[in-house]
Amino acid sequence: MSQHEVLNSEKHRQLRVKTGYGAALGDAVMYAMTYPMEFRDIQSCYPILFTKDSNTGGFFAVAILGFEADQNLFLQDDRWDAAYVPALIQRQPFLIAKSGEGDARPPVVSIDLDHPRVSQDEGEALFDDGSEPSEFLKKKIALLDKLHRGLQHGSGFIDTLLQHELLEQIAFDIVFNDGSKKTLQGFYSIAEERLYQLKGDVLESLNQAGYLQPVFMAVASLSRVRDLIERRNRLQVSQAAG
Amino acid sequence: MGYYSHMEDRISRIVVVGGGSAGWLSAGVIAAEHRVDPEARQPFELLLIESPDVPTIGVGEGTWPSMRSTLQRIGLSETDFLRECDASFKQGTFFRNWHTGNGDTYSHPFTVPTDYADTNLAPHWLALADAPPFADAVTPQTALFADCLAPKQITTPEYAFVVNYAYHLDAGKFVELLRQHCTGKLGVKHIEANVSQVNAAGNGDIRSVTTDRAGEISGDLFIDCTGTKSLLLGEHFEIPFQSQQAYLFNDTALAAQVPYTEDDQAIQSCTHSTAQTAGWIWDIGLPTRRGTGHVYSSAHISEDEATGQLLAYIKEVAGDKAAASIAPRKIRYQPGHRREFWHRNCVAIGMSSGFIEPLEASALVMVELAAGMIADQLPPTRDVMDIVAERYNRKFLRHWQQIIEFLKLHYVLSARDDSPYWQDNRAASSIPEKLSEQLLLWRYRSPWHQDAEAVDDLFPIPSYQYILYGMGFRTEPRHTGSRRQELHQRHAAELFRKNAARAAQLQQALPGNRDLLNKVREFGFQKL
Repeated sequence: MSQHEVLNSEKHRQLRVKTGYGAALGDAVMYAMTYPMEFRDIQSCYPILFTKDSNTGGFFAVAILGFEADQNLFLQDDRWDAAYVPALIQRQPFLIAKSGEGDARPPVVSIDLDHPRVSQDEGEALFDDGSEPSEFLKKKIALLDKLHRGLQHGSGFIDTLLQHELLEQIAFDIVFNDGSKKTLQGFYSIAEERLYQLKGDVLESLNQAGYLQPVFMAVASLSRVRDLIERRNRLQVSQAAG
Repeated sequence: MGYYSHMEDRISRIVVVGGGSAGWLSAGVIAAEHRVDPEARQPFELLLIESPDVPTIGVGEGTWPSMRSTLQRIGLSETDFLRECDASFKQGTFFRNWHTGNGDTYSHPFTVPTDYADTNLAPHWLALADAPPFADAVTPQTALFADCLAPKQITTPEYAFVVNYAYHLDAGKFVELLRQHCTGKLGVKHIEANVSQVNAAGNGDIRSVTTDRAGEISGDLFIDCTGTKSLLLGEHFEIPFQSQQAYLFNDTALAAQVPYTEDDQAIQSCTHSTAQTAGWIWDIGLPTRRGTGHVYSSAHISEDEATGQLLAYIKEVAGDKAAASIAPRKIRYQPGHRREFWHRNCVAIGMSSGFIEPLEASALVMVELAAGMIADQLPPTRDVMDIVAERYNRKFLRHWQQIIEFLKLHYVLSARDDSPYWQDNRAASSIPEKLSEQLLLWRYRSPWHQDAEAVDDLFPIPSYQYILYGMGFRTEPRHTGSRRQELHQRHAAELFRKNAARAAQLQQALPGNRDLLNKVREFGFQKL
């Protein structure tokens, strides 16, 4: 499914990366992973929920894009209809990998050669004639750098939420305009009642870790669910019209 | 009675005599419900006296699903429990050679038949031509047995399930974990000493026990967890022991730990029970080893022969090399129980109250029920204790009676004719009267809700269905038919179909036991 290689100016000299958006480019996903430093941008467009990694059972934060697998309600043909696109989407097909065993090794930029954005003849070049990174690649590297710092900052976020029992299961029972129903399962949100009972010292420690603002951003983001339902309802109408 | 005398009457100190899983589990359940730590609102103490010289017997490696709520109740994390106790998931029991002895098999899973509350599938299953085995037809759980699949996923919260489950565990490690938790978290006081004398109060209660290195220890309620010795209830109060060997012949066990042949060998999803000529062999899979043992009737087979059968079994499942290194440990026991269990201010829990063969792993669940009832109904004063005691005795006599009848059912239904043991097991004189009546009734209608005696029956009616129809018992169809027969049949056919689909779906979705246990070791379960 994916084939990761550390980016190399010799080996990957000819590679190109397709830009823009579209289902064929791998953008038809129900959610995108996110991290606390990004919550402020995310909550302006998407609901932020938490779900579990099927391999480890561990929680991670996600920006919700649709109501079922492979459904991205922000994707309109080749357009992403939102003011902000999650960094984990923007960075495709690049990723950060460790350069070796152990946590001390510096991260290196890698590429998923099996990603649909990777091409031999179409899209942006990665290197210029002098084997230097292209402007396009430089921007992606800057994004990955920001992403890396965000993930590091957020690495203790979930444990902190669990420690203070700030996550709770959430079940959405949604009825769309066309009468169809959808139950969104396997998602968790901030436990608001517990949040409002937190005492001074806990609030202070959350604030110092830079986690207090993201917690409230996640709470605020739930009002984006209404927009998501509207998008789904419009989808029905346009499909019926089409 | 005046205010002050009432205060003196208050139950404020419980003394558990004896460690082992019975002692520590009881202490844990009671201490979780009644704060005994120094910050508690009322002065209330829970002491456990454990002999530093007597090793625990270490039987009882199989549990019931009730153990999940018991562990949760005492505040243990499931991840810690699984990691510390070398525990694995148990989804029921798989029986081999019990019916004909010619390689026959059947299952007793922990999941009740699908739609059991509203539909009795047994008569519909009996009417099927080419029916799959009963358990396979009515629950998806048995489909997981063959591939050694787990009852849940790593994303399932702790103690929650996809299909109902209990545990197999290392009893020695379990005691160790409970001891740490009870003393470290729950405020139970641990006294390492041997009890040398039981001292009576003027009214006939136990006033105190004298120990060899901790002096005299007084208490308001004594819990006797001294094992078969039954030091307080049996020796001090002389409450008679009632043998049940007339019904259940087995009185000896040979236990042996068996290594896996490969490190990553699959871990069985259920207890395996394989009938022999004069008993049966248990086989349970833990992450690091298997626990096996032969339970038999010493009147029907010699120890040498019983050992030979156990070694032959081990050779079959684990190879010659494993069998060569085995030195079985022998445990003699008298099947039966005390005439009463709570006498004056003393209640016996665990083997001090009685013991029966582990055919349906009833030992630990009885400890959980006993400790639970004491925790829930703890008499606040001495003058109400006798009322609680009487209720307790009635309830637990009923539990013992049901255990004996239900275990006997496994033997009565056997068609094996290859040894006097199986023939003797079907002699009318060896069958409890109530069981004979039930069997007669069930020839004409299958057991369902109307056969449940009490809401807290130890063995629910689905268990009877699994044993009866697993062992080839036939219930005749009703002669009179029903006006809505066709409707019922259509509904039943739909349930059978859905069950098969669910089984196939679960086989795809659930990981292997070992895979999941490895993940628990690495990541742990989430609490939500």
